Formats: sequence, C-alpha cells, structure tokens
Amino acid sequence: MSLGLIALCFLTLEGCTKTSGETGLTVAVNAGVEGQALKEAAKDWEKKTGVKMHVVELPYSNLFEKELLDLKSKTGAYDVIMLDDPWFPQYATGGQLNSLDNLYKGQGLEGPESDFIKSTLDVCRQPWATGSYYALPYVGNSQLFFYRKDLFDKYSLKAPKTWTEVLQGAKKIGSAEKMYGYVMRAAAGNAVVADFMPLLWAFGADIFSPDKKPALNSPEAVSALKFMLALGEVTPPGYTGYNADEVSAHLLQSTAVMSINWPAWIGPMDDVSKSKIVGKIGFTQIPSEKNKGQAELGAWLVAIPSGSKNVAKAFEFIRWATSPTQMKVAAFRGNPPTRTSVFDDRDLIQKFRAFPAQKESLASARPRPRTPLWNEIENVFGIYLSKANSKTMDPETALNEANKEITAIISRNL
Amino acid sequence: MKRTVTKWGSYIIAGSGLLISLAPLYWLLTISLKTEIDQFASPPLWFHFTPTFVHFQEAFGVNEFGKYLFNSCLVATSSTLIALVLGIPAAYSLTRLKWPKNQAEKIGFWILSNRFLPPIITIVPLFLMMRNLGLLDSPVALIIVYVGFNLPFVIWMMQTFIREIPPELDEAARVDGDSYFGALIRIILPLASPGIAATAIFCLIIAWNEFLLALVLTQTESSMTLPIGIASQVTQYEIRWGIMSAAGVVATVPVLIFSLFVQKYLVRGLSMGAVKG
Amino acid sequence: MARRRVLWIFPALLILVGLSIYPLLYSLKVSFVTIQGDWGISNYTRILRDHLLHVSLIQTFIYVTGALTIELILGLFLALLVDSLGRGKYFFRGGFLAPMLLPPVVAAIVWRLIYNPQFGVLNSTLKLFGVATEKLTWTSGEGSAMASVIFVDIWEWTPFMFLLLSAGLQSIPVEPCEAARMDGASSFKVLKDIILPLLKPTLFLAILLRAMDLLRIFDQIWILTQGGPGLATETVSLYIYRTAFRFFNFGYAASMSFVCLILVSLFAKSLFRMLKMSVV
Repeated sequence: MSLGLIALCFLTLEGCTKTSGETGLTVAVNAGVEGQALKEAAKDWEKKTGVKMHVVELPYSNLFEKELLDLKSKTGAYDVIMLDDPWFPQYATGGQLNSLDNLYKGQGLEGPESDFIKSTLDVCRQPWATGSYYALPYVGNSQLFFYRKDLFDKYSLKAPKTWTEVLQGAKKIGSAEKMYGYVMRAAAGNAVVADFMPLLWAFGADIFSPDKKPALNSPEAVSALKFMLALGEVTPPGYTGYNADEVSAHLLQSTAVMSINWPAWIGPMDDVSKSKIVGKIGFTQIPSEKNKGQAELGAWLVAIPSGSKNVAKAFEFIRWATSPTQMKVAAFRGNPPTRTSVFDDRDLIQKFRAFPAQKESLASARPRPRTPLWNEIENVFGIYLSKANSKTMDPETALNEANKEITAIISRNL
Repeated sequence: MKRTVTKWGSYIIAGSGLLISLAPLYWLLTISLKTEIDQFASPPLWFHFTPTFVHFQEAFGVNEFGKYLFNSCLVATSSTLIALVLGIPAAYSLTRLKWPKNQAEKIGFWILSNRFLPPIITIVPLFLMMRNLGLLDSPVALIIVYVGFNLPFVIWMMQTFIREIPPELDEAARVDGDSYFGALIRIILPLASPGIAATAIFCLIIAWNEFLLALVLTQTESSMTLPIGIASQVTQYEIRWGIMSAAGVVATVPVLIFSLFVQKYLVRGLSMGAVKG
Repeated sequence: MARRRVLWIFPALLILVGLSIYPLLYSLKVSFVTIQGDWGISNYTRILRDHLLHVSLIQTFIYVTGALTIELILGLFLALLVDSLGRGKYFFRGGFLAPMLLPPVVAAIVWRLIYNPQFGVLNSTLKLFGVATEKLTWTSGEGSAMASVIFVDIWEWTPFMFLLLSAGLQSIPVEPCEAARMDGASSFKVLKDIILPLLKPTLFLAILLRAMDLLRIFDQIWILTQGGPGLATETVSLYIYRTAFRFFNFGYAASMSFVCLILVSLFAKSLFRMLKMSVV
C-alpha cells in the first residue's frame, strides 16, 4: 500500500520537474554585477533569435563548485559558464572545456580578434598566453585605486603614485579629517590575497620565482607584508574580516579615504541612493614602489563545457555577446568591456569617467599564478596573511609557513 | 512581598529574553523595508525610516524567488507526507508487532543512528546517484533525500507516541475483528494525532530550512529552494541585503505563524512521548 | 506474522538503506583512492600529519562544548522561569521559539549584518550607550570570532533546549514538589533533589540531540565567517567541505569523514547508553 503511494507520488512529481528546454541554452552566471550584464545579454539573445535562454545565478563560491562539479562529472547542466580567470587552469584541464580553436576554424576564422585586450585573451589560453583558446573574455575586470580626490586637493596632495605616498597621504588626511586613511579587504581567502598581490608585486616579489618554485619567504615579500601591516594601522579595526562590501561601505559612508577596489564599485560611488560622496572619488592606477604598480587581473570569461549538448548554439551566443556592438550595450549597463574599441568609444567615455583609467589598468594587469592548484594555494596563503594581519603571527613566520604549505601542496599533487 | 518581587523579576527577565530573541528578527524585517543608504546608517534607524517595498519586488519580480518559494513548499510538504506515510507503519510495526528478542531495538537504534550521519559523507555519492538516475536538479531528488533525512526522526518519535497508547485499546479493536491495519487507522492515528502533528511540524521545518544537501543537488532554479536563493545573495563584491532580507522574511513568516498556532501541540506532543524515552 | 511486520517496515528501510549504506560504501571506496589515481592508504596517513585538520578538530570541540553547555543551562533556566509564570506562559513560550524556526541561513545573515563592526546595529547601539566599539570586531577578530559564532548558535538553538526541557517539566508530577515545599524545603532544594533527577532523561536526550547537530555544524559558520579569520572558526565540516568541493580532493575528504564518523559514533553510543541508564 505504501509502495503504491510512493509510486503515485513519483508519477505526479515527474510531471512537474525540469522546465529547462532541451532546445534552449542554460547559462551559469555569477550573482552580482558581472553576471548581470551576461544575464541581460541572454535575454536580448532570446528576443533576437527565439532560443530559450535559461540563466542560473550563483554566488561566487557556489558558482565555482557547481561548475567544476558539472565539468568533472559531465552532467551537461550548463551550456555556457562564466568563470573568474584564476579558475581557468583548473577548468581547462582534462578536456573539460570545449576548445574554441576548432569552432573558430569552422567559421573560417583564425581566432578571437586582436581588438580584445591582450592581457584578457592570454588568460583564455591553456597554456597561458600560448596555447589553444578555451574561453572568451567578457568582463574586463582589473583593480583600480580609489581615492578621495576632493580631500587630496584640499590638502594640496597629488594622486598617490607610490605606496609610500599612499601611506603618507593616509596618515595626513586621516588624522586631519578624523577618518581612516585606508581601508582594505583582509578576510581570509580570496579577499586578503587579492588585496595583497598588488603590494607583493610592487615590492618586487611574487608567489613563485621565475623557475616556478615557491618564493614567498623572500626579503621583498616580507617588506610587502610589513607594509600591509603598516597600512593596517590606519585601517578600521576589524578589517581582518572585511570583504568588498565592507570596504566600499567605508568609502560610500565617507569614513575612509582610499582603497584598492574593482570597477563594479565605480557606479555605486556616484549613485545618490547609495553614496555620500557622489563625484568626490578619483580613480588612478595601482601605486608602484620598487616595481611599476600592476593591478591584479580578475577578468570573467565565458566558456563552453564539453558536456554541453548545444555546443554550436553556445558558441554562437558567446561570439555575439562578445562582439563590439554587444559589448558596448553591456558597457552601458555597467559591464567593463574587454575590447579596445569599446574602451575608446566616445559615448562610453562620456558616461563613464573612469574608462581611460580602467583601460590602462586592464592593459597592464597581471594575472594570478596559472596553476590548477590555485584554490588550495590561495586558501593556505589567505590563512597566513590573515594571521599576520590579526597580529597572531609575525610577518616572517607567516610567509615562511605559507611557503612551506604551498611547497607541500605542490609536491602532494605531482 | 518577596513573592511579588520575584514575580516581577521573573517577568522582567523573561521579557528581556524575549526581546533578545525577537529583536534580530525585527531588524531583519526593517532591513527588508529600508533603502540601501538607510540600511547602513549610523546611528541605526530602528524606527525612523521610510519603508519601501522595492526589495520584495526585486526578489520576487525580477529574481527567481517565486520559483524558489514554490520549490521549498513542494519539497517540504511532499517529503513530510511521504515520511509520515512510510514512517508511521514502520513505527507501528516496531512497537506493536512481535519481533524476535532484541531485534526491534537494534533496528530502531540503527534507524536512529542514520540521523547522526554527517551529511558531508553522503553528499558526493548522493550527487552521483542522482546524476545517474537523471534526477539531478529536480525537486524529486531533494524530496527523496529529505524523506531519508526525516524518516529516522519520524519513526523514532512515532514509536514513543505509540508506546504511550495502552496496547489494550488496539488489541480490543482487533479482538473485535479488525485487522492490524484497521487498528492502526481507527485507534492509533486518532490517539496519536498531537504527536503526529508535532512530528510533521518538525519535518516540515527541517526540510524547509535545509541547506547543504540542497546546495549540492540543485543546479538551476528548477529545483533551488529558498535557503539556496537567500545564500546566493552573498556575491563576491556585495551582499544584496535588501533582496536577502526580503526573501528571509518570506522564508520565516510562514514558519513562525504556523508554529504559533500549533505551539500547544508541539509541547504536548513532545511531553507525551519523546521525553519518556 | 513475520511477513507483516517486515512488510510494513520495508519501504522505510529500503529508502534508508539506499540513502545511507550506498553512500557510505561509495565514500569508503573513494577514500582509498589517492590523488594520483591508484589505491593506497595515503589519505588516511595524511590525517595524522595534517595540522590544519587537527586545528579544525580543536575548533569543533570548542564550539560544541561551548554552545552545548550554555544552551543547556540557559534552556533549563528559561524553562523553569517560564514554567513558574502564571499568565502569559504560552505567550512567552511562543516568542522564545522564534529563533530556532528561522532557516539557519537567514539567522546567519541577520547576525552577519548585526555584527558588522562599523555599520552593524550591535556596535551602533553600543555606541549610543557610550561603549567604545573600536576594538569590538566580533566575527572579524581572531579572538572574538569563535565566541561570536557560538553566540549565534546559542541565540538560535537555546529555544530548542527550552522546548524540550519545558516538555520534560510538564511531565513531572506536581505532588512531590508541593509536598516537599510544605515540609519546608527551599525552592533550590526542590530543584536539586526532585526536579533535576526526574528531568535526567530529558536532559540526556537534549544533550544527545543537540550535540549531534552541533558536531555537524556547517550552514551558519559558512555564511558568518567562512572559517576565518585565519582558522579561528574553521570546524571540521568546513574543512572537509572545502577539501571536497574547492580543492576537489574527494578521496581525502572521504577519509576524513570516515574518521569523524567513527569518533562521532563512539561518542553517540556512550551518550545513548547513559540515556538508557538514566531512564531505569
């Protein structure tokens, strides 16, 4: 009797499951500003071609987990996926993504146009910058330095060009205006690593040495971390748990003077309903120190899982979405483009005053180390950076330990 | 005199306890009704703000929360119903029917131990299982898994409730010619109804609030439930507090109202059986 | 006879077996597969050396004992308190239940908002009372993160203890207490000598249920701190989840899960035995 009931339930439920059409496309996007543009593009595509577009929005960490799970078990749940560039090396192994080279050749083309900014195209290739294309760049995201131009002008200071200038300005303006001179993300994991990389690079260090060995215990790296702690002195306490929203909230509420930030936050800075500092923020390049300042690249790419059953249609969509006209439309919606022509577009520059700065930053941006083990490495690196910032470990020990762990991760996975 | 002081003292303490319990919920409600700039205002705006419904519109209009709500309702009610339908006969069998020596107890313990299985162990194999069955990303997968989740609890609770009912009652019914099944329906069920209500409520709440399994087994909004939708407002760059709290309010209100009504049954049901072990 | 009792329990058992035995066996199999892809016990030997895992075990222990102790004491106190109130008993009971009915995800985000050091309502309200909130970083401070996270659990789940213990109190007969009081015993003595012993089964039940749930804690911590700052709130389930779904190392995650399962089972068995004994 109970078995009969179960059967009945199954039959009725089977009827009301899966609504995603077999003939449509399922697109996985990041829940947030970056995903917003692709979401809108999918809607436009549906209007234009009638292909049913099914958009799934997932938060950053879930997006990664779901996509990777789909790629590894080839469930074919997604036809187009959006990915943050550091995930690319892990995704592009083992034939999990569809190579775009053949798809381009099938259309009689060489590959992506040179209009795409090179730094963004390089991260779409496996191996980096030289191999086949497995993705196209959609969101031209790279860090910018946000600073209160009005306050800098007030104290007759020029936009900071070096990190030393940043610290000086932070101390001077901060104490005079009773604000925090600086604010940064230092929550363990992706947040603290993202805010530390530009410092690490500017001080002449890197996670890996040119011969691919972990080199975090170099004297330059230690100086970089010590400097981060010095900045921490003029940062709101509790920054060791900060993520992007806390950092931006400080800027928006006018309680902090400067920070590294991402283009997604440019809009809200000038939005009356969110900001107390409309028009007062200036955008400049990441400061230099020993080396020229380089922004960390955080481009979002679009790719086609090899488990997808609609490869041709998916390719059509992503080519259309990354075309100059569509990128311009997306740019008007707030999406940082990845094409030079779009960055140079007069109408866009008029609307988005930070575009020239963004283009410069993107062109010279540096990607994080291209390794499939990045997640584990970032996790461990993040833990020790967080400890150093919470002052529970001194900088030298923290970097030494991090280096040890990273070496262990690599040797474990050989 | 001392009596009144302690009486007042008790009320004050109970009242402050109540305040601590409910204030965060009230705050959630206000966040869902405030504009973004008000949400982060310092000093905090407990009462003086202009409410706006824009977040509710965003959540249920533009975003997929209507679908999430539907999925949550579907999955919670179906799994509870099925768990009861399967669990009550099982509990009856274990308590009333004759089993060899200690077998009933051993089986009961094994069933209960399933409740304590850390989900982490089971999520990957369950994911693969559902994928192979073609049930991935469908409410059916969640329903099946939640039934498994709740069955131990149902069986165990129903066992204790049934034990409370004097066996003479259903024995009398059977002596009068009723089958075991009839005795179950006509005697046990009505007498155990407060217990059944309590069990059902717990199952509903557990299924409604569940997160980890839903996280792994759902891929698109065809099957995503409210908790997943709410958590997905924590994006990389910002937390969409407005949408999240609007959805949170919608996720919580039904549970609260429902529980207030049956609060009496909850306590009675629990005291009737579970406590006696 | 045998057919009937087995038949009635069969569908339930079938589902349970399918959803627990199969995953267990599969996980067991996977735990013996190394990263390189062949069979071996390296996943298990790594457990001995992995100091990140050891730290997470300690964090889990702190979390469980901290939360459990306070929830038990507070729950008992509230149960006794509300029980003593004449009017409004049901009103208070209903109100106290609210936090545990929230989806844990929602509770976590509410508290994340409240805890925000600069803009959260907690620090803002404290500021109004003149408290210096500069150093109060709640979930962002390595020292206070664990306490803050435990507090959220206490806020959310004390109602559960309260509920269970209230139910237990209901079933205690009034006569012995009244008799003792008429004999001149103080309230405290009544509590100690009569109520608590009679409440033992309920207490053990509450401890068992809550401890099991605490050991598996995931949702709230994930949303509140993601295990940070550093490793301050990284409990075992977070570490295992991360190993499985971020680092994609299912073998190691499975082996850790098994070791934890064994530990938890031993713990549960002894608790359960104590529960059975106390009922006698």
